[in-house]
Amino acid sequence: MSVSHVISSRRTGDETEGRILRYTLSERVHHWLGAFTYCYCLITGLAFWSPYMFWLAALVGGGPTARFWHPWLGLAFTLSMFWMYKMWRRDMLTTDADRRWSRVMKYYVENEDEKLPPVGRFNYGQKLFFWLMFYGVILLLISGIGLWFVESIPWSLRWLRYLAVTVHVVAALATIGGFIIHVYMGTAMVRGGFTSIIRGEVSTVWAKTHHRLWYEQITKGTSAQK
Amino acid sequence: MTNGWIDIKNTDMMLIMGGNPAENHPCGFKWAIEAKRTRNAKMIVVDPRFTRTAATSDLFLQIRAGADIAFLGGVLRYAIENNRIAKEYLVNYTNAAFIVKEGFKLPEDGLYSGFDGATQTYDRSSWNYEEGNDAGGEAPAHAAAHTAPSAAAAKSAGTTLGAAAVTPTPLPAMPPKVAYDLTLQHPRCVFQLLRQQYSRYTPEMVERITGIPKDQFLKAADLFTSVRKDGDMKKVATIMYAVGWTQHSFGTQIIRTAAILQLLLGNIGRAGGGVNALRGHSNIQGATDMGGIFDIWPGYLKVPNPTDVDLAAYLKRITPTPSKPAPWDSFNYWSNTPKFAVSYLKAMYGDAATKENDFAFDYMPKVDRNYSWTQIWDNMYRGSVKGMFAFGMNGVAIGPDSQKNIEALKKADWLVVGEIYPDETSEFWKSPGITPEEMKTINTTVYRLACAGFAEKDGSMTNSARWLQWKNVAVPPPGECRLDQDIVAQIFLKVRDLYQTQGGKFPDPILNLTWAYTNAQHPALGDLAKELNGKALADLTDPKTQVTIKRGQQLPGFAWLKDDGTTACGNWIYSGCWTEAGNQLSRRGTEDPSGQGIYQNWAWSWPANRRVLYNRASCDPSGKPYDATRKQVWWNESTQLWMGNDVPDFKPDSNPKDHMGPFIMNAEGVGRIFGPLGAFADGPFPEHYEPIESPVQNALHPNQSKNPVVKKLKTAADKYASPGDGFNIICTTYRLTEHYHYWTKNNRMNVQLVPEPFIEIPVELAAELGIKGNDKVKVTSARSYYVAKAFVTKRIKPMMIDGKKIYQIGIPIHQGYRGIQEDAGRDARTILNRLTPTVVDPNAFTPEFKGFLVKVEKA
Amino acid sequence: MSQATLGIRRISGHAGPAPGDDVERDYQVCKLIDTTTCIGCKACEVACLEWNGYTFTDTVFDNSYQTMPETAWNYWNLIKFNEHEREDGSITLLMRKDQCMHCADPGCLTACPADGAIVQYTNGIVDFQQQNCIGCGYCVSGCPFDIPKFNPTTKKMFKCTLCVDRVSEGLEPACIKSCPTGCLHFGSKDDMKDLAETRAKQLRDNFGFEKAGVYDPAGVGGTGVIYVLHDVTNPEAYGGLPKDPRIPFLVRFWKGPAKWIGNLAMLGGILGVTLHYLRFGPKQVDAEKRENGGQP
Repeated sequence: MSVSHVISSRRTGDETEGRILRYTLSERVHHWLGAFTYCYCLITGLAFWSPYMFWLAALVGGGPTARFWHPWLGLAFTLSMFWMYKMWRRDMLTTDADRRWSRVMKYYVENEDEKLPPVGRFNYGQKLFFWLMFYGVILLLISGIGLWFVESIPWSLRWLRYLAVTVHVVAALATIGGFIIHVYMGTAMVRGGFTSIIRGEVSTVWAKTHHRLWYEQITKGTSAQK
Repeated sequence: MTNGWIDIKNTDMMLIMGGNPAENHPCGFKWAIEAKRTRNAKMIVVDPRFTRTAATSDLFLQIRAGADIAFLGGVLRYAIENNRIAKEYLVNYTNAAFIVKEGFKLPEDGLYSGFDGATQTYDRSSWNYEEGNDAGGEAPAHAAAHTAPSAAAAKSAGTTLGAAAVTPTPLPAMPPKVAYDLTLQHPRCVFQLLRQQYSRYTPEMVERITGIPKDQFLKAADLFTSVRKDGDMKKVATIMYAVGWTQHSFGTQIIRTAAILQLLLGNIGRAGGGVNALRGHSNIQGATDMGGIFDIWPGYLKVPNPTDVDLAAYLKRITPTPSKPAPWDSFNYWSNTPKFAVSYLKAMYGDAATKENDFAFDYMPKVDRNYSWTQIWDNMYRGSVKGMFAFGMNGVAIGPDSQKNIEALKKADWLVVGEIYPDETSEFWKSPGITPEEMKTINTTVYRLACAGFAEKDGSMTNSARWLQWKNVAVPPPGECRLDQDIVAQIFLKVRDLYQTQGGKFPDPILNLTWAYTNAQHPALGDLAKELNGKALADLTDPKTQVTIKRGQQLPGFAWLKDDGTTACGNWIYSGCWTEAGNQLSRRGTEDPSGQGIYQNWAWSWPANRRVLYNRASCDPSGKPYDATRKQVWWNESTQLWMGNDVPDFKPDSNPKDHMGPFIMNAEGVGRIFGPLGAFADGPFPEHYEPIESPVQNALHPNQSKNPVVKKLKTAADKYASPGDGFNIICTTYRLTEHYHYWTKNNRMNVQLVPEPFIEIPVELAAELGIKGNDKVKVTSARSYYVAKAFVTKRIKPMMIDGKKIYQIGIPIHQGYRGIQEDAGRDARTILNRLTPTVVDPNAFTPEFKGFLVKVEKA
Repeated sequence: MSQATLGIRRISGHAGPAPGDDVERDYQVCKLIDTTTCIGCKACEVACLEWNGYTFTDTVFDNSYQTMPETAWNYWNLIKFNEHEREDGSITLLMRKDQCMHCADPGCLTACPADGAIVQYTNGIVDFQQQNCIGCGYCVSGCPFDIPKFNPTTKKMFKCTLCVDRVSEGLEPACIKSCPTGCLHFGSKDDMKDLAETRAKQLRDNFGFEKAGVYDPAGVGGTGVIYVLHDVTNPEAYGGLPKDPRIPFLVRFWKGPAKWIGNLAMLGGILGVTLHYLRFGPKQVDAEKRENGGQP
C-alpha cells in the first residue's frame, strides 16, 4: 500500500493546469486490452449462448471464426486481467474505510456523494468489480480450457465436462452483470471517468470529489499549487 | 466338408474344435449363428484360447493344445457307456459289425500290432477284417461305407508312402466276404474293439491329459451326445475343424476320431451333420482337388509308384474290390478308377496316349519317396534341390522352422517368386541377421515376377463346401504384372521349344503334352475348366437311355467316362462343371425349394452337383428320412428310384432291400470306424499321443509318449526341445480375423485394424514373469526366437495337466520382415515360424505348428 | 419422392383434425445390434471407413483386439472388446459395436449452439451438418455416449450418420450390409424392437441367459440404435455402455432454466442502469461549486 502510494504520488506529481494523472499509459493499455477482448468474448459468447443471439457471430466473421477466436481472445483477456491484478492488487484491497463506505453506498447510488466518507484511489464498488472480474476470469479460464479441450477430459471424469459448461456460463453471467454496471458508470453515470481511462487525466476537482483520500495522498508530498 | 457351409444352419448341435470359424471363416460362420437363431442349436467350443468363436458359444472348454484325441476319445467312451449311439445306423452303415482278424492288438502300451522299431513303421497286415460269414447267427442286414475324399483322408487313404524314401511293400487285400456280427457282441468285432480302445479314456484320464476339469468335460460330453438321447434319430450334430486339428503329428487321427464319433452317433450324411473341414484359403479345396499334393493326381487318384510297371499293374493296385458281408451290396465306386485314370491320361496327352502305349502311362512320373512340403525344404537344405518356383505362397514365412528354409534358399542356385508384393521368400537374402558381408556370399539368383492379384484374374475357386464358383475380373493387373497361368504357359512353351531344338533324355512327355488352348501363350481359364470337365473323343451312346454324345462334345458328367480312350477328362470329380450347357460354375440361381439351403442352381458342387456327401445315410435302411422335416433324399417306391432335394449320393436304382451301403466310395460300402490295412500309417483307431514337444509324458503309456511312426528330421537346423531344457510353456499359433496370412501386412486397412504383432499371455504367467500389457516379450524355442508385444489376457488360463501347472501362450502368425510396419521399423521383424518344429503328420505330412514348447521372457 | 413417404399434418376442406393426426406416420429407422452374435470381425469398421471415404490412421497395439481406444472423428464405428469375468468365474469376451446411438432426445442437439449444425430427421436419424458446425464441442458435453469427435484440421465435429445418404435412398447402412453373421439388422424401430425382444426371449428361454434383454434407454427417449445384451442389467461391462444414459443434468440446466435466468438477469441489468440514469442522472462534478466549498 505504501509502495503503491509512493509510486503513484511520484508519478502524479507533474500536475498541470489543475489536472492530475489518474491512470498511467500502461494501466490504460491493459484496461483497454481487457475491454476489447472481453467485448469480443461477450459478443461471441452471447452468440453461443442463445440461438436468438447467434446472429452476433455473423458480426465477427461467422460461427466458426467466432468459435476459433473466442478462446484465444479469452486467453488474452485473462492475461490483461492478470496484468491489472499485478498493477492494482494492492489498490484493490478492501480497507476499513471501504467497509464504512459500503454501509452508506445508497448515497452513492442516489448521487448524494457528499454524504459519503472520502475514498482512496478506488472506491468500494470499483474494488468489487475488480475482484468480480478477477475471480470470474479464473473460473472462465479453467472452465474455458475444459470446454476448449473437452475431448481430452476422460470419460470417467465426464462430470468435469458438464461442470465446465455450467461454470463458464455462471461466471460469464456474473461478469456480464458487473460489466453492464461498469460500462454504465464509466460512461454515463460518472462523468469524467471515461476520459480518465482514455487520456489518463482527471481534474483535481474530480479527484477531490470522488477520491479525496487518494487526492490528498498524492498531493501530500508535493507542494500543492494552492 | 462332408456337408457345406449353408448346411450348418440345419444342425442342432455344433462342436467346434481345432478351428476358430468366427475369426477365420466369418462369412461361413453366419450359418452357425443361423442354426442358433432358428433352431436353438447349441455350440460347444473347445480351444486352447477363449476365441471370438467361443464368445458366441454355449459352452467353452479350454484344452491343452494337442490333447484333442483324448477329449474326443472321452466323448466316444461317454456315448458308448451311456448308450447314446445310433444303433441301427452303426450296424447297417458302418463297419462296427465287421470282425477283425485275429492277431490285431490294441495299443494299451502305445503300439498297435506289427510295429517295427527299427524302421519306425507298422506292418499293417494284421489290421484287416476276418474272412467269413455271420458270426453272430442273426439274419444279415446290409450296408456300405466310405471315407470322404477330403484332402487329409484322400492323402491318408491307402497311401503307403512314409516319411522316408520307401518302395511300398504290397499289403494283403481285404477279404471279399467279411465275417460280421450284427449283434455287435463278438469280441473282435469293430464295435467291441472300439469300446475296448476308448474304455481307457475315462473322464479322469481326459482331465489328466487335456486339462479340462472332469465336470466340465462331462457337461460337454453330455451336451454333445444329447442329440442321441434314447436313441432318437431326429436331431443332428455337426463337427467343425480347421488347421488346429490338422497341424499336429497325429492330425489325421484327430479328424478320424471325429469321424468315428459322428458315425457312432449317426450324424454323417445328414443335413446339419458331418465332419466339416473349414478350409482356410479361398481355393485350398481346389488345390487338393486338383492334385496340388505330391501323392495324388487330380481327383484323388493315387500317383503311380515304381512298382507300377505298366498301366495294368497301376490300375490293379489302385482299384479296390468290394469287401463286405456276403449278403450286403457294395457299390464300390472307386471300381471306376480305370475310367478316371485313363481319361486323365487322355486329357494330358491326347492323341499321343494310345491303347498301345498304355495311354502314355510311362510319361507320368513315378513317385518313389516323400516329396511333401517339409521334405522339399529339407532336400534343398541338404543341397539336392537346386531351385524353386514359389507362386502364390511365401515359403519362408510358412515354415516350419523358417530359419531352416532361409538357410536352404541360401544354398539354392535359383529361386523364382511370383507374387503381388515383395515378400519374405523373395527377400530371404536380407532377412534380419544377415550382414552385408554375408549377403555378398549368397549366390542364389532370385527372379521376381510381378503377378496379378485375385481380383485381377477370372477363374473359379472351390470353397469348403466343394462349390466351384466362377468369378470375373474386377480390375486389370497393374503395370507389368502378369497372370500366373500366362507365366507358367510361357515358361512351358519355352521349355518345349528347347526340347524341340535341342532334344533331351526323354522329351516325349513335354513334346506330347496337350496344349490345345485358344491362345497358347495366354490360356484362358475357361479353356482349362472345359478340359477338366472332359469331352467325348468318339461318339458315345448310353445303352440304357440311348442318349448320344457326339465326338468333341463336353461330357455331362463322370458317369460317361470310359477306360478305352474315348473320353478325356482332366479331373473326374470336376466332370459336369462345364458341359454343353455352358459354364455351370457361373450359375447364380437362388431357388431353394426345400429351404435346406441346398441351392442346386448356385454354382456347381462336386461330385455331380451334390451338396451333402453320403446323403443316403440320412435315411433309415428302408429308405425313409430319419427326420421328415429335413428330407434330403428318399427311396421312391413307385419309380423305384432314389430321389430328393439334393442329388442322391448313391446308385439311383438300388432298392433298399439290396442293402447297398451308403458309403459308396469305400470298398466295404460302409463307414470305417476301423481303418483297415493301409488306410492310416499310425493305427486303425486313433490313439492319444503327445506332441513332439510336450511338457508331460503320455498318461496312457508313458513309455510310448509320442506317435511311434513320426520321425524327426536330422539336419543341424532341426532341433527339438524337451521340458528338461527349460522349455516348459506350450505355444500355439493362430490367425487373426483382421489379417490374411503374410500379405495383408502390406495393406493399410488391415494394418490399421491390428497394427502390431502380439503374443497372448495368461495374466498369471505375466504376473510371474513381471510382464505387463504392451511390454516387449521374447519367446524362444529350441530353434529360434520371436519378439512382439505382450497381450496379457484372462482368456487363456493356467491348466493342471497330470498334476502339473502348465501355461499356454498363443501367437498370431502374421508378422514378418516385409510390410508396412516392418519397413517402417515399427516391429521386431521376426517370423513366428522360426519357432516351429519340422515334424509332420505321417498321413497327410502336415507340420506340427500347434503345441510346441517355448520359454518366455521380457525383451 | 412420392407423397406416400410424407407425413400429413393438415388437409384442406376437412372438418376436424386430419385423419392420422397425432399418429406416428414417419416410421423411425433403427439399427439392431445383437451382441450375442457379434464375432468382432470388424467388417462393419471397414465398411464404415470405405463408405464414408475415410483413409487410414496410425494405430498402436494396446493389449486388446480393439482397433483404437475410442471412436474418432474419422472412425465412427468401433467394436469394443471386453474380457468379462462372469459370476461363476468363467471368462467371456464381450464385443459391442460402438457408434452414435441416434437418441430420440439427442444430447448433442440439445447442447449445440450453431444454427442447423445438428438435425434430427423425422425418421430419427441425428445428423451433423458440418457446413453449419462451428466446432465448439458442446455436443461432446451433451452426449451421454461420448460419440461426437472433433477434427482438428477442419475444426468440425463428426460422428456416425447412420448412413443417412444410403438410408435416404432406401439402402441399409454400410455396417449392416457388411455384417457376416447377421448380428446387425436395420428396419423400422417397431420391427427392430420386436426382433430384439424375440431374440432376448430366446436367449432367456433357450440359452440360459436369464438377464438377456434389449437396451433401448428411456432416459434419452429411446435410441435409433438398440442392443440385445446377454445381461441387460450390466451394460457397463460392454465397454462402458451407460446403464441409464440421460442428457447430463447440468447440460439440461444450462440449456434450459439457466438460459432464462441469464437472459432475464442481463435484461434486468440493462433495464436497471437505464432506470438509474433516468431517475438519478449522472454524477457531475461542479468544479466551481466544489472549489468554493459550496454544497450541492
